[in-house]
Amino acid sequence: MLDYVVRRLMLGLVTLFGVAVIVFFVMRVLPGDAAVMLSGAGAGAVSEKELAGVRAKLGLDRPLPAQFADWAGNVAVLELGTSLRTGNPVIADVARRFPYTLQIVVMAMLIAVLIGVPVGVLSAAYAGSWGDQILRALSIGGLAAPSFWVGLLLILLLVWLFQWSAPLMWEPFWVSPWKSVTQLFWPALAVGLRQLALIARMTRSIMLEVLGEDYIRTARAKGLSEWSVVMGHGLRNGLLPVVTLIGFEFSALFGGLIVTETVFSVPGLGQYVVTALLDRDYPAAQGIVLILAGIVVLGNLSVDLLYGWLDPRTRVQVTEK
Amino acid sequence: MKNPDRSIATDATRRKVLKAGSAALAVAASGPRWAWAQTPKRGGTLRISSGGDPPDFDLHQSPTYLSQHVGAPCYSTLMRADPKDYNRLLPDLAEKADVSADGKTVTFQLREGVVFHNGMPLAAEDVAYSLERIRKPPKGNVSPRKGLLGNVEAIEARGARTVVVKLAQPQADFLFLVSNPFNVIVPKKVAEPLDAQGQGMKRQIVGTGPFRLTQAVNGQIYELTRFDKYFGAAPFLDKIQFFPIKGEIERSAALQGKRIDGCYFFPNESVLATLRKVPGMTVLRRPTPTFINVIPNAQRKPFDDPRVREALSLALDREAFIKTVGPLAGAFFHSMGLMPPSSPYSLSVAEVKQFGGYDTLPGLGGNLAANRQRAMTLLEQAGVPKSFKVVVPTRGDVPAFRDAAINVAGQLKTIGLDATVDIRDAGAFYAIETKGDFQVVVHSVGMGGSTPDQILGEGYTSYGGRNYGQWKDEALDNFYRQQSREPDPKKRGELIKQFQLAFLKTYYQINLAWVGYGAAYWNTVQGWTALPDLYGNMQFDKVWLDA
Repeated sequence: MLDYVVRRLMLGLVTLFGVAVIVFFVMRVLPGDAAVMLSGAGAGAVSEKELAGVRAKLGLDRPLPAQFADWAGNVAVLELGTSLRTGNPVIADVARRFPYTLQIVVMAMLIAVLIGVPVGVLSAAYAGSWGDQILRALSIGGLAAPSFWVGLLLILLLVWLFQWSAPLMWEPFWVSPWKSVTQLFWPALAVGLRQLALIARMTRSIMLEVLGEDYIRTARAKGLSEWSVVMGHGLRNGLLPVVTLIGFEFSALFGGLIVTETVFSVPGLGQYVVTALLDRDYPAAQGIVLILAGIVVLGNLSVDLLYGWLDPRTRVQVTEK
Repeated sequence: MKNPDRSIATDATRRKVLKAGSAALAVAASGPRWAWAQTPKRGGTLRISSGGDPPDFDLHQSPTYLSQHVGAPCYSTLMRADPKDYNRLLPDLAEKADVSADGKTVTFQLREGVVFHNGMPLAAEDVAYSLERIRKPPKGNVSPRKGLLGNVEAIEARGARTVVVKLAQPQADFLFLVSNPFNVIVPKKVAEPLDAQGQGMKRQIVGTGPFRLTQAVNGQIYELTRFDKYFGAAPFLDKIQFFPIKGEIERSAALQGKRIDGCYFFPNESVLATLRKVPGMTVLRRPTPTFINVIPNAQRKPFDDPRVREALSLALDREAFIKTVGPLAGAFFHSMGLMPPSSPYSLSVAEVKQFGGYDTLPGLGGNLAANRQRAMTLLEQAGVPKSFKVVVPTRGDVPAFRDAAINVAGQLKTIGLDATVDIRDAGAFYAIETKGDFQVVVHSVGMGGSTPDQILGEGYTSYGGRNYGQWKDEALDNFYRQQSREPDPKKRGELIKQFQLAFLKTYYQINLAWVGYGAAYWNTVQGWTALPDLYGNMQFDKVWLDA
C-alpha cells in the first residue's frame, strides 16, 4: 500500500512538473506584457525606456530558459515568488484566499450530497412516476445550467426581491462561523445546484441498477420493508460510485469556481486566478495554477485510496499490481 | 456660524495665472472661505466604493483613478483645486508661489509645521524629490504623467521651506500642472531607497494628507483613519472605507441597501436612472476630461493618406454614437473642438462644421447621407478597394472601448469598408496597441486635468504620450509649444483655437464624444462638491456625515 502511495505521489510530481512547464511557457506565449500591464502603459505615457527598466527589474529581459530555471528552482523549495500586482508572496495571497474557496466547495458539496442523494434514491425507488419525471427534468436542467449563469440569476433575483448585495467584507469561518456560512451560502448554492443534479442522476442510475439485483429481490422476498430494502441493501451497495464522483468533483471544484467567485465578488482562489491572468501577473498565475493542479492530483489520489478502503476487491487488485 | 476651517484661499485663478506672464504672481493667503449651510458634525465612517482594487498606491506611477481615489485623502499637493471654482487654486503644501518677471522661474514657499504620517517633518527636499521623481522616474519606475512637467528644466530645494523650479519657457498652466491631483508629495527618505529597488511607493502610503492608510486587504477593504497631526483643519470624518466592488449593479445594490454611503463610478446610465428614483439620494453625471476618439494608425497604409482618415470621420454619425454608446459608457457629452465641453477655448459651430463628419454632432443638423457619399468618393480617390478589410481591436472589459468599437465598426461598413471588431482582454489589446500593430482603434483617453496644456499637450502632440496613431508633425508640436508659452490670455486663447483647427484638419484623431462618470451618494454625505474632473476634490477633508 505504501509503495502504491509513494508511486502515485512520484507520478503526481511528474504531472506537476508538466503543468509547471506548460503554464510557464503559455503565460509567455500569451499576447501581452507584464511590464505594460504593471505600469499601466496602455493608459498612460510610459516610454519604452521606462518599460525596459521595469522588465529588467522583474527579470523579464532574461532568456526564457533562465527565467524558467529560476522559477522552477524556487518552486522546488516551495517558494512561488511575489505577486507583481499585490506585492505579497503568492503563498501568502493564496493562504488568505484559500479558506473562502474551501468553504464554498465544502458547502456546495454538502448541498449537493444532502439533497442529491435522497433525490436520486427517491427517483429510482419511484422510477417512471410523475415525481421521477419531474426530478429527472430538474436534474437535467441543473446539469445544463452553468453555475455562473445560475449565480447571475440568483444575484438578480436577490437584488430584485431583497435589495441584496454581496457582502462588503467576507468573514472568515473561524472569525464568525454563522456569518461566514450565510455570506457564502448563495455562491455555494449556485455551484452546488449543478453538483446536486450530477449526484442525483448518478445515484438514480446506480440505484436503478442495484435495485434490479438478485439480492434485492431476495431481501424483498424475505419480507423486509421497502425502506430497509432500498436504504439498507440498495443504497449501501450503490453508494460506492457516488462517493467516487463526490471525491473527484470536490477536487475539481477548486479550479472550477473562477466565474462564480468573480460573479459574487468572493475573494477566493478563482478571482485570484482571473486577475492574475488578465494582469499578466506571471508569478501569481503560475503559482496558483500549480497549486490547483496539486489539489487535483492529491484529490484523485485520495479518491483512489478511499475507493480501495470502501471496496476491498479494489484494494486486492491494487495490491496485486 | 463659526467656520471650523482654517484653510486659506488664494487669488490664483486661471485668469490671473494666465495674466501673470512676466509680472510676479504671488499666491497669498486671503482668509477663510469655507462655509456650510449646516454645522458640520464630527465623527463617523464614510463608506464608499469604486470599480476595483487600486493596482498600487504610488500615485506618481499609477495611471488609474482607483489608486488616486484611495491616495488623495492621504496625500497633499503643492496647491489644490478650489471645489467651488475649478479654475482657482488654493494653497495646500505651498502657502505661496511666486513667478519671476520672465515667467521662467517659479518659487514655492512651503507651510511650516507639516509632518508626514510617519512623523517626519516636510522639507523642501521632499518636494524637489517628488517633482523630480515625476519628471524623471528612477530606473525600474514609470511616470505616465511626466509630460505635465516636461517644461521643467531644473528643480532646486533652497533651505527647509523653499523650492525653486526653472522652466524652459514661460508656461501659463504650470501651477495647474504641478498641482495635478496625482502629483502628490512623498517623503524623500522613504521613497528614495524604495525607488532604488525599483519598488517605489507602490505598497505603502506616507503622505501629509488628512487621512492615513490603516488597512489594505486586496479584494476587500482599504481603510483610512483621520491623521491627527494634519496641517489643515482637522477632517470631520473618523474613517473612510473604500470597498472595491467590481460590478456596477452590485455597487448600486450596496448603495441602495445603505451598506455604502456613496459611489463615484457609475458609467452605465440605466444604473443611474434607477438610483435617481431613490428618495434621499443625490445622483449626478460628472463630466470628466476623458474623450473617446477614433485613432487611425498613420504609419499604416491606407491610413497614412489624409483622405482616408477624413473618410473615416465622414462615415461617423456622432449623434447616433452618443445616443447608443452614451448610456452604456457614460459618453453623453460632446464638445466643439479638442477641448472639453463648455471650455472657454471651444470652437464655433461654423469652425467645427468645416471638418468632415463633425456636422453630425448633436444639434448641428448635418447631412449624414451626403457625408457618407463623400467618404466613399474619397476612398475611391485614395485607391482603397471596395470591401477593404478593417479590423478594429478593442478591450472587452470596458464599455467605453468595446461598445464604442462595435458602434464605429458598424458605421464604417456604411461606406463600403469590411470592418470587424477584434475583442481581446486588456493585456492583449495594449500589446497590439503599443506595438502599433493595428489599423484603427477606438480609444477612451482619460486625461489628468482640463487645462489646455494637459488636454492638448498630452492628447494631441506627437510626443505627449497619447499618440497611439504614431503620427509625426513637427509643425503641430511647435504650434502647441507656442500657445503654451504665450503670456497674454487673449493671444493664447486665439492660438489654442488655431491649434485645434490645424489638428482637426489632419484627422490624426477623430473626435466622437466625451465621457461623464456617474456618482451617487446618500444625502447624509455633506460637504462634497463635484468638479468637472474625476480626480479633483477627492481629499474628503471637508466631508461630514449628517447621520
